[in-house]
Amino acid sequence: MTNSARLQWVYAWLLLSPALVLLVTFTHYPAIKSIIASFYSTARGKRQSVYIGLDNYHTLVADPVFWKVLSNNFWYAVWTIPLSIALSLIMALWVNEKLRGLAFLRMAYFTPTVLPLIAVANIWLFFYTPGFGLIDQIRGLFDLPEQNWMGSPNTALYTMIAVAIWKEAGFFMIFYLAALQTIPPSLRDAAAIEGASKVYFFRRVVFPLLMPTTLFVSINAVINSFRLVDHIFVMTEGGPNNASSLLLFYIYETAFKYWDTAYAATLTTVLLMILTVLAIGQFFFLDKRVHYK
Amino acid sequence: MVDRPFGQTIQVRNLTKNFGGEDVLSGIDLTFEAGSFTALLGPSGCGKSTALRLISGLEPVSSGQVLIGDTDVTQTAPSARDIAMVFQSYALFPHLNVAENITFGLRVRKTNRSEREDKLRHVADLLGLEKLLDRKPSELSGGQQQRVALGRAIVSGKSIFLMDEPLSNLDAKLRAEMREEIRALQQKLGVTMIYVTHDQVEAVTMADQVVLMNQGRVEQCATPRDLYETPATLFAAKFIGTPPMVTFSTRVLAPDSTSNVTLGLRPEAVQIVSEGPITAMIDHIEYLGADAMLACATANGETVLCRASGSTRMTKGDPVSLSFAPADLHAFAADSGQRLQHIPPEIEAALSFQKPGLQ
Repeated sequence: MTNSARLQWVYAWLLLSPALVLLVTFTHYPAIKSIIASFYSTARGKRQSVYIGLDNYHTLVADPVFWKVLSNNFWYAVWTIPLSIALSLIMALWVNEKLRGLAFLRMAYFTPTVLPLIAVANIWLFFYTPGFGLIDQIRGLFDLPEQNWMGSPNTALYTMIAVAIWKEAGFFMIFYLAALQTIPPSLRDAAAIEGASKVYFFRRVVFPLLMPTTLFVSINAVINSFRLVDHIFVMTEGGPNNASSLLLFYIYETAFKYWDTAYAATLTTVLLMILTVLAIGQFFFLDKRVHYK
Repeated sequence: MVDRPFGQTIQVRNLTKNFGGEDVLSGIDLTFEAGSFTALLGPSGCGKSTALRLISGLEPVSSGQVLIGDTDVTQTAPSARDIAMVFQSYALFPHLNVAENITFGLRVRKTNRSEREDKLRHVADLLGLEKLLDRKPSELSGGQQQRVALGRAIVSGKSIFLMDEPLSNLDAKLRAEMREEIRALQQKLGVTMIYVTHDQVEAVTMADQVVLMNQGRVEQCATPRDLYETPATLFAAKFIGTPPMVTFSTRVLAPDSTSNVTLGLRPEAVQIVSEGPITAMIDHIEYLGADAMLACATANGETVLCRASGSTRMTKGDPVSLSFAPADLHAFAADSGQRLQHIPPEIEAALSFQKPGLQ
């Protein structure tokens, strides 16, 4: 290797190192450490942590709470992902029209994204409060009885889903709006000359052209459905009886409330595997249907 | 050409378009004969594209009427006006291949599959697109995209074609080819074509009738020849021709004249003679190969252009005497810009009693 080539090589690593150091320290190392930790027992007092093979995974399979939060998370994803995407697309289509007060409308839809989820959760607490919350006040107008939305195991999870959709839709809308604005108006004109209805034009032209955005947004939505749990801390703490607990929230509880770090590492490994499979699957499934310019 | 043209007549009456309190089009009246080729020509912002969009129905009129055939279509949807349109940007659907782009309208109208295939094959054959049917627009050259856009218009079977600067994104050579092709196609199909352009060469070479527009008004509606030979206004005179007509005051010919008239001469109408009505000095020369454009400064400080042979050996600073046939002299009212039927008497006098012996 010549001197100048060696110098270039040094430069390359120097330039890469800031990002590399941060990524390795806070992402790669903890991830690998978690996977390793899932094969060891939790150290308690004088007892050292020891290698126990797949014992943690056996515990996990037999853990009814794990299956409960996993199914909660499944339903949470099933509702939040399509609904938040559909809602964001509808809002973007509306806001993309030439309307009076458009800037205000766009801002209004984006506000939930700007607000911290913790604050948002507090606002929603007031909506759901039995008796004098917003929802019950409206129900009162129609002489409907009071309802404890967050306190009932049947509805607790859905209150969390509603908050997540409300929070996410505005954020996704921005991406759809940006994509819509890149579609040339002449395409609409050309379709109008041919007699295509608005619905036909959307189905055959706009929606296909938005597919790259849909792919991006849906991957984000999937990740968020496992990641966005802040409001559970404020609103239900996973209750009642784990009815609104999600995988990540359960991991937090296991690790920092019960201090069973090895079992938490096991749960984390499972979560990582789920996310990996979903992301890869999405890319392969959707990539064929996506038209990139 | 077809005996009875397939295309329909289009008339616009007192067509006005107002954007935010400003008239973009102010009351234009035009007739487009069935099966004719009309160019809407003018500088950018003159309202020619707006006029086309009003005729297409993509833009609602502020007032006035659009008639196609004998029917008032002012309130009719674009798809029910019997029109096809080709856009400047081609407006091809980027996610559909060539075949799907061409048959887009047929699918919208739920034409059955075999008919669709037949029409597609016919159009592909007509435009030489057979080998490109599976390509996406991004895999085509500009000229090929242009053909696909034309194909989409042809396959629709409509009798009126509206073209919005369809060639402006192509390079010069391709543009010349497509000019001929579009003109031939229009005659073959017998459609009524309205063609918006800012390029006078396109307008003059292709159209039966040229509508010259300026600031939302029609300056002149005439055949290309009439437009060139008898421009109705100063604007028309200075817009048409490369280089355009040169205009100057009457004092160039009659130093004492005070008339409010602007005179015009086309550079090719001016000849260098030994004794002519204009004495001048060559200010600069633009060499064009076959021709050379001589800019001659007159005694009173105005400029007259003279087209000379490219072999001329004259140089800057040479004195020249210029002449022209009186029939080639155009006169316009200086204030309104309208063409005058008669040349002012003092100019006629100056031309008939030329001062001898200068030179």
